[in-house]
Amino acid sequence: MTRLLDVENLTLKFDTDEGRITAVDDVSFTLEAGEVMGLVGESGSGKSVTAKSIMKLNPGNASYGDDTKITLHLEDGPVDIMSLHGSKELKVVRGGAISLIFQEPMASFAPAITIGDQMVEQLLIHMDMNAKRAKEVSIEMLDRVGISDPSMRFGQYAFELSGGMRQRAMIAMALSTKPKLLIADEPTTALDVTIQAQVIDLMKDLVKDFGMGIIFITHDLGVIAQTADKVAVMYLGRLIEQGPVRDVLRNPSHPYTKGLIAALPRLDDLDSPLTPIPGDIPSPLERPTGCVFHTRCSVNLGDICTAKIPNFAKVTEGHNVACHLFNGEGAK
Amino acid sequence: MLQFSKFVAVRAALAVLTLVLVSFIVFTLMELVPGDCAERYVAFKSSQGSVITAADIQIERVRLGLDQPYVQRWGSWIFNAFQGEFGDSCILRVNIAQLLGQKFWLSLGLCLSALLLAYAIAIPVGIIAATSKNAVLNNSLRLVSYLGLALPNFLLALMIMLFSTVFFGDSLTGLFSKEYRDAPWDYDKVMDFLGHAWLPVFILGWSATAFAIQTVRALMSDEIGKLYVTAAAARGVSGRRLLMRYPARHALSPIINSLGFDLNRIFTELPIVALILTLTEAGSLLIEALARSNDQQLAGAIIFMLTASIVGINFITDIILALTDPRIRRSIVG
Ligand SMILES: Nc1ncnc2c1ncn2[C@@H]1O[C@H](COP(=O)(O)OP(=O)(O)OP(=O)(O)O)[C@@H](O)[C@H]1O
Ligand code: SF4
Ligand SMILES: [Mg+2]
Repeated sequence: MTRLLDVENLTLKFDTDEGRITAVDDVSFTLEAGEVMGLVGESGSGKSVTAKSIMKLNPGNASYGDDTKITLHLEDGPVDIMSLHGSKELKVVRGGAISLIFQEPMASFAPAITIGDQMVEQLLIHMDMNAKRAKEVSIEMLDRVGISDPSMRFGQYAFELSGGMRQRAMIAMALSTKPKLLIADEPTTALDVTIQAQVIDLMKDLVKDFGMGIIFITHDLGVIAQTADKVAVMYLGRLIEQGPVRDVLRNPSHPYTKGLIAALPRLDDLDSPLTPIPGDIPSPLERPTGCVFHTRCSVNLGDICTAKIPNFAKVTEGHNVACHLFNGEGAK
Repeated sequence: MLQFSKFVAVRAALAVLTLVLVSFIVFTLMELVPGDCAERYVAFKSSQGSVITAADIQIERVRLGLDQPYVQRWGSWIFNAFQGEFGDSCILRVNIAQLLGQKFWLSLGLCLSALLLAYAIAIPVGIIAATSKNAVLNNSLRLVSYLGLALPNFLLALMIMLFSTVFFGDSLTGLFSKEYRDAPWDYDKVMDFLGHAWLPVFILGWSATAFAIQTVRALMSDEIGKLYVTAAAARGVSGRRLLMRYPARHALSPIINSLGFDLNRIFTELPIVALILTLTEAGSLLIEALARSNDQQLAGAIIFMLTASIVGINFITDIILALTDPRIRRSIVG
């Protein structure tokens, strides 16, 4: 396997009228080419911000931590993303080698520009081709993602497509430039279950064909189990557990991950009670000290949890957890 | 194409219907003014020393058609109005179409120029204001547009007159120099007119511009915050292309939509500005007709024509919108 992406100590803060919000706090992970990583966590845990940070897409009130380092490994050598400035340099991570599928497919197409024009525009920016060829490639891509009558759809607007078709068009557009990394931010939440399954299958096929890496963001652990090779769990901007998907789902080690899994309905035993994680997510303005999860943790080891940020400890090979239960002093 | 013609036809029919309704309201209001044209004329005559009897009034009524039933008179009034024929003024006793003719078109021209000026300034300035992060620039723009909103047009007109009288010895009033006032239109008269017209256009455009800047800025900020703009940036679209093709292009529809309101607002400011600058355009005639002489015939004609202009503008903007906004276009052209 070849390394595709290194994210080291990613920290991102927003300056707001209420104060500074730490949306992503010291997050590190890696991704290999051809690998699918699931990024899960409750709403507001910083998944979308993490995704946008990789493309330097966050708004003007955002600032990165000083030791944030993001490296994209391309054939011509590594790209230090934090050192990219200006639209020319950033092109490579914006629609070139990295594509992002946004959470809401309807809102991410410009309403008064046809799907086709938006696709062609992206191809002309990144690929060495003329407008005629770009149109052919776009129609091929629309066909590829299973949109019927692609040349007709090419000339249509987003509001003329159904939700599932829009999501497919979004995928077609994102993949048209043959990116090395695809970030899919909840690409299926807006879809009903059958279409969701189709879209997921489609993405799996395309990953295989294109050999790219995917960061797949979702709330849905079921989707993760079907699609991802590995999973990273976020809580309040911090990564708290990561590892191969089977290990993490079968043997969740962080009390938060355990809680997420326990909160899932069980199809084999529909009478078993759902046990949601107790308590509310703290306001991002008042981040808990020590372990960010200690305000809701049923284990909570006391002083150490409230005072000291837990480091990652190894559970099994490649499966790491940031909890004092597994760290030196608190370890069992 | 066929569907588009149908759309235009339906909109045109709606516009005419609106005008018919408005004409009914205007006509009813004219009727509600105490006294009618016959009485008013006769009163005028008697003030000239003639001895007037009730029979004379009745004869005048018959002559003016005032003895006909209400609905019939309304019908013939609007029938004529749609052909630009409004009968005679009650007081001035001259044909209204002749009296208004040129004045009305001058007024409309002034207002449209003010509207044009307002948007010619507001679109670039509004876009800059919405995108610039420069606090000094933003705050000065804000200050100027607050001034524009807060400073009434008539005050501005008075200030400019005062200023120019003191410094140039010319009050800058009127639309024509004396020698051209009654001259036929020729090159010199046009130049003379333009030399005078910029001031009322500027004054009328002043608050319209301030208003339009606010509109454009708000619409632009709104569009810029939308996800499709971030999504376009994520695809590598950047710089001016991103700005113009995405938020600016999409803010256009609501801007076109607001043109009708803006013209309306300018119309309502016209009379008072005209009064101060002693322009003899239709707006000041309206005030005159309403406030001084109770000339309902003239007032009705002016209100009808102003309304017709606004309905006309709305009709035109509807058509432009249908051509530029795919959501509307698709719903009619398919
Ligand atoms: N532009 C911004 N300005 C200020 N705060 C922001 C901004 N964008 C995001 N945040 C904050 O950052 C935190 C993380 O948001 P993010 O959108 O990444 O959550 P998420 O995990 O994607 O949630 P969801 O599952 O609901 O999409 C939230 O507290 C959010 O309010
Ligand atoms: S570190 Fe402490 S509070 Fe945090 S999850 Fe582990 S046990 Fe719970
Ligand atoms: Mg999100």
